Amino acid sequence: MADVFGGGEGNQKKADGAADAINRMLQNLVIKCAKEEGIRDYFHVGVIGYGAQVGPAFSGALAGQQMVPISQVGNSPARVEQRNKKVSDGAGGLVDQPVRFPIWFEPVANGGTPMGQALGQAKSIVENWLTQHPDCFPPIVINITDGEATDGDPTVAAAEIRRLKSSDGEVLVFNCHLSSQRASTIEYPGNGDGLPDKFAQQLFQMSSTLPEHMRAIASQSGMSVNEGSRGFVFNADLVALIKFLDIGTRPSALR
Amino acid sequence: MEIVATDFWLPKNGSSEAEYEDASAIAEGKLRFAVADGATETSFSKIWAKQLVRAFVDGRLSIPIVTDELGPLQSRWQKIVHRHPLPWYAEEKASDGAFAAFVGLQFFDARSETDVKTNWRAAAAGDSCLFQLRDGKIVESFPLEDSGSFNDRPNLLGSVANGNGSLETMSRAGGPVFAGDVFFLMTDAIACWFLKEHERGNKPWDLLQGQDQSSFRDLVTNLRAEKEMKNDDVTLVRIDFIA
Repeated sequence: MADVFGGGEGNQKKADGAADAINRMLQNLVIKCAKEEGIRDYFHVGVIGYGAQVGPAFSGALAGQQMVPISQVGNSPARVEQRNKKVSDGAGGLVDQPVRFPIWFEPVANGGTPMGQALGQAKSIVENWLTQHPDCFPPIVINITDGEATDGDPTVAAAEIRRLKSSDGEVLVFNCHLSSQRASTIEYPGNGDGLPDKFAQQLFQMSSTLPEHMRAIASQSGMSVNEGSRGFVFNADLVALIKFLDIGTRPSALR
Repeated sequence: MEIVATDFWLPKNGSSEAEYEDASAIAEGKLRFAVADGATETSFSKIWAKQLVRAFVDGRLSIPIVTDELGPLQSRWQKIVHRHPLPWYAEEKASDGAFAAFVGLQFFDARSETDVKTNWRAAAAGDSCLFQLRDGKIVESFPLEDSGSFNDRPNLLGSVANGNGSLETMSRAGGPVFAGDVFFLMTDAIACWFLKEHERGNKPWDLLQGQDQSSFRDLVTNLRAEKEMKNDDVTLVRIDFIA
């Protein structure tokens, strides 16, 4: 789920940031499930955009679809851009290496941040999913936003999602706050003390505590997490979160 | 002494045989045996696991394995992977390399002035294990010694040069062999179960006695259903020294 539209100054730039964040997240999720024979459907993914409208936000061939198996996501980006990735030159420096960057989700700058409505829609999709898959790994709702909710208090809708569960555990709500403030990055805090504003604190409160298995993988990856750590990041991306999703043996040498 | 070796395997429950990513190799004539476990989160790891066990039993990998021996295997892996153009995700994934846990076992004769004794030596990376049994007791548990040592991020052998760091952390072991000794090579799920049962005072090796492929599959299927064994690809090589 992502706030595509933003509001106020620097709209386009912030919207680009949110779109990049979601595209990178989808890309990493696809790569995680990629095997030599194709993409294994370990996950189904839905993307809801919220701004002038609230609804399914895939572009291209997947436009209008609510939940899509990850193999279809991987095979149907709207387009694939060429971008540069910094890689080691083997002599202590960095060089640009061209990489293919798939795009599923386009940035659109437009007013409004109806977060409560978007969370409500996410809740109904998750409820429906749980009816069909009562024993599944608990769904994860990831809210990526750059602005404050303009349709009331979103904490109620977030709490309603967190109360849903499969036989395997509670549904998780994670939040990613992309702020235009020049504040330093905060990842998976255990309390809201160091957060720069009321809105960041609200998103922190809305976020689930990281379950034990995710904390274990985060610790093994060298991240600083504790028992109270929540699925919340401020001015950071959530790509690391993808690594916390356990689908099997992961070599310690792998990034 | 006569050697009888058998391998057993079963893919993860819910996966097809094509998705099985472990590998085993037996070369009774060369007295070399190996198992490897391709990491789920890397792609083309089945090919890599197969390359490692075959190279070991053919004698192209020694104990200890050195970087120069791994190089040709890594080049070969690159060639196989890039035989056809890859979609964006497969390309990205392949650039990270494939990884595999590995344990290789070799027997050899140590000659003294008075006699010839059979010895073994082994090398391991990650959580694939070797157990040596004598008179109903574990006399060697290598490289892991307790069921609590298994985690989801083992040091593995990589198919790309920058994944070679684990060569330095590879473990080695060895010792004498006596008639009646039994050796097991196992990938992690069954090795972890084996140690856990042993820690409970049970003799899991009794359950691995006299198995054929079909009864082995039944055994593993039941242990998975009872949550005694993690649902993962399972591979076992059993080597009996008969007097």
